[in-house]
Amino acid sequence: MRQLQSLLVFLAAILTFARASSDYHEQLVLRPLQPSLLLASFNFQSNTTWASFEQQNFRYFPRSLGQILQHANTRELHLRFSLGQWDAENWGARPWKGAREGGTGVELWAWVEAETDEEADGRWLTLTNALSGLFCASLNFIDSTRTTRPVLSFQPSGYHTNSTASKLHLLHGTLPREVVCTENLTPFLKLLPCKGKAGISSLLDGHKLFDASWQSMSLDVTPICRSGSEDCQLQITQTTDMVLDIQRSKRPRDNPIPRPIPSEELKCDTSKPYNSFDTCYPLDISAQEEEWSLSQIFGHTMKGSCPLAENESYPVCINVPHARDIYTSGAREHKDESGYMRCFELTPQEDFEMILPPQDLSERAPLEQPLLYAERSFIGYGQERGGVQAILTNPSPTDAVDFVYMESLPWFMKLYLHTLKAKINGNSEDVIQEMYYRPALDRKRGTQLEVRILIPANSTVVLTYDFEKAILRYTEYPPDANRGFDIAPAVITIGNVSIRTTSLLLPLPTPDFSMPYNVIILTSTIMALAFGSIFNLLVRRFVAADEAEKWDVRALRLIIKGAISRFARRFMKKTTKKD
Amino acid sequence: MKLDILFQLPVALALLASMPVAAEHTSNWAVLVSTSRFWFNYRHLANVLSLYRTVKRLGIPDSQIILMLPDDMACNPRNAFPGTVYSNADRAVDLYGDNIEVDYRGYEVTVENFIRLLTDRVGEEMPRSKRLLTDDRSNILVYMTGHGGNEFLKFQDAEEISAFDLADAFEQMWEKKRYHEILFMIDTCQANTMYSKFYSPNIIATGSSEIDQSSYSHHADNDVGVAVIDRYTYYNLDFLETHVREPSSKKTLGDLFDSYDEAKIHSHPGIRWDLFPGGEQGGRDRLLMDFFGNVQNVEVNSVVNDTEWKEDLLALGKKIAELRERAEADEAAERNVSTAEPLLKNHSSQRIRAAKVEIDGKWWEKKAIGAWTLAGCSLVWLAATYMES
Repeated sequence: MRQLQSLLVFLAAILTFARASSDYHEQLVLRPLQPSLLLASFNFQSNTTWASFEQQNFRYFPRSLGQILQHANTRELHLRFSLGQWDAENWGARPWKGAREGGTGVELWAWVEAETDEEADGRWLTLTNALSGLFCASLNFIDSTRTTRPVLSFQPSGYHTNSTASKLHLLHGTLPREVVCTENLTPFLKLLPCKGKAGISSLLDGHKLFDASWQSMSLDVTPICRSGSEDCQLQITQTTDMVLDIQRSKRPRDNPIPRPIPSEELKCDTSKPYNSFDTCYPLDISAQEEEWSLSQIFGHTMKGSCPLAENESYPVCINVPHARDIYTSGAREHKDESGYMRCFELTPQEDFEMILPPQDLSERAPLEQPLLYAERSFIGYGQERGGVQAILTNPSPTDAVDFVYMESLPWFMKLYLHTLKAKINGNSEDVIQEMYYRPALDRKRGTQLEVRILIPANSTVVLTYDFEKAILRYTEYPPDANRGFDIAPAVITIGNVSIRTTSLLLPLPTPDFSMPYNVIILTSTIMALAFGSIFNLLVRRFVAADEAEKWDVRALRLIIKGAISRFARRFMKKTTKKD
Repeated sequence: MKLDILFQLPVALALLASMPVAAEHTSNWAVLVSTSRFWFNYRHLANVLSLYRTVKRLGIPDSQIILMLPDDMACNPRNAFPGTVYSNADRAVDLYGDNIEVDYRGYEVTVENFIRLLTDRVGEEMPRSKRLLTDDRSNILVYMTGHGGNEFLKFQDAEEISAFDLADAFEQMWEKKRYHEILFMIDTCQANTMYSKFYSPNIIATGSSEIDQSSYSHHADNDVGVAVIDRYTYYNLDFLETHVREPSSKKTLGDLFDSYDEAKIHSHPGIRWDLFPGGEQGGRDRLLMDFFGNVQNVEVNSVVNDTEWKEDLLALGKKIAELRERAEADEAAERNVSTAEPLLKNHSSQRIRAAKVEIDGKWWEKKAIGAWTLAGCSLVWLAATYMES
């Protein structure tokens, strides 16, 4: 009994310690985009001390994830689930400078502590399988053919001591074909301290998130240390970013199919002359700010603030000019000095609603220009060969951009490195600074290519290379082979900013899958014909038609007689020899 | 104390063994498998998801449900209702909802993975959520749906599982003591042929249609654009929703099977009793909740004295302390070993890395050298031929 008591006292001591050192923050930032879109960025962040993580004292850090990280000796983890395409020309720079998004599908990279490469591979296998169970995604398909070890592109974002840093192995894997759906959001929400029941996470709903024009869910675990102290912490950051179409989100969930507006609800331009009353010039409302509210966009109002986010004063912020009218349900408003950002202090345990009425506004919150525009597509034709072209534009009129372009291609897309060409504004010039390459091995590993390029100000680089398509074995084709094979997006790293191109769909030569049966049937027929005719030639004796009549029982009798006499003669010879 | 427990154990075991065959299940599991890919097979995913919602409603937790979905219907670009799957044109219940855990999805749904799941022949890296962790006291509901034929069921339109494979998998499960009782349900064309080869005990099997009979879809939703549920599953669900409303329900398997109306289902559902102890009568009396719910009878052992649990707790505490000491000793030993080792390993710490490609700016120079070498060689050769002649 006394032991139990002492244990309890010890536990209580740890708990107070943990409470003093762990904290949790959450924030939602809304930003209207053109035309009629809304970017919603959810950010959830909590810290735990390294000591309490090692002792498995979990408070805000999810236990399920913590145990996986400890089991797989993972020191830093980055997991991404993304869908859709970011339209940089209209939407500007990416949220979080692109650091919290992945390529289409699932992307995972981690720093694993291990003595050797083989040990690192083993732990990576453990990690991907465990995460596949936790996040209901096929992460176990990240095998050796989809794993790369980038040299230039990824740098650890956390702090690692020199002794561990020498043992860290960076492993990176992508699944461009993976679907992202509600079963991935469910475990994502369960990792949050408020579990989607209160606070900004109560707005996260699969029905809206997976209807977005672009969305990205991210999970990062990084160790952070204050400089010059041993006081290290482990930080877990979960973000969700989505670009919602306001018109589309406002449709009722049970009747989402767009139907024509009834004539009495049409808004007509009354300044135009009308000949009859059943005609209507629709009023141009694109200049007007869209009308929306939180409950219309996300399906319901926000269920109070999360009580665990103690120090959080501003859980909801919106990036609009101060002139924009916003009505809220009793939240206190704080406007900042820049003129474009305001935040709301919520009353706890009360639902929060925010309504933006239609309004004519002359100014808009400025868009941040991206450092680089990137697009990538297939060139060439035919079933045997192809090419890839990446167009990279530096929009800045003054600054050059130094970046790393990384491709990880599947083994069946065989890259010819000698065809890699970079043209700048149409002329071939030396823009490639550095290049790292690891060729593919059939069925064992994919191609890895990293190119460091320097683009001068206001110019465009076109990077092209050719490849050959491999022919797969019959059993290597997926059930929907005719759909094509997804090629992972290229990752472009500019310092701490990253950009990902869209994924590509590669059509491979696919057989007609009933072909083996055709072949079996045809081969059997030919074999039967050949065997039949050869057998005929061997056992039948061919004679002319007029000879055929003589060919009767008498002939048979003669043959038998001849055979008997031959046998008798031989027998006689033998007996004479014996004598 | 410890010795005391050890002494009591055989007595308790002997008591258990001598009890009449009151062997009951102590856990419930469900394996729900859809085997069809592609959008036009929406109804097969809706079938399996409606069963998923039913067993979840009746109490089986997500950790004890293995759900296999070979394609993505909810977030499919063709779906006008994103994040949603409906099994009825009235669209009253969203089967995908806000809380769903899919264990095997997409290309993971294969015959191999299904048989590995049943027989638990998986790698050590396989997470627990993807394993069927049953024992000889587990009741399992196995529900399958897809496109099939005489003694086979297609997986993803690319491979098949035969009735023999399935029967052998169940036999292995029985040999490995991985189930107590199984209720096998299948909704596909010629479904009854799929269970005809079973030979392991304690299985009740039912299917939607006889040999040479098709199973049909029930109805289509015009806004979804495809059929949303199959007839056999529809009428099973209908019964489960109207008659089995809460986990305390006393409806039996007999009640469910009697509700099958061939005129409505448009095929002849079959039931196989002969593998079940007690035959048809024994099977008919089993509660539906033994398979669709998570209700177990509790056996209460009489409490001998009040201080016993405290003593047990103390013994447990001692055991934990002992184990902890041992673990610490092991760790210390490991540390001693590991301090000696790195000296040896330092030499072979070469990393797998991409090779740096040298970009050569001097190619013109090299070409000139090459040309000179070639010219020199040909000069030597010419000179030699001249001398010889």
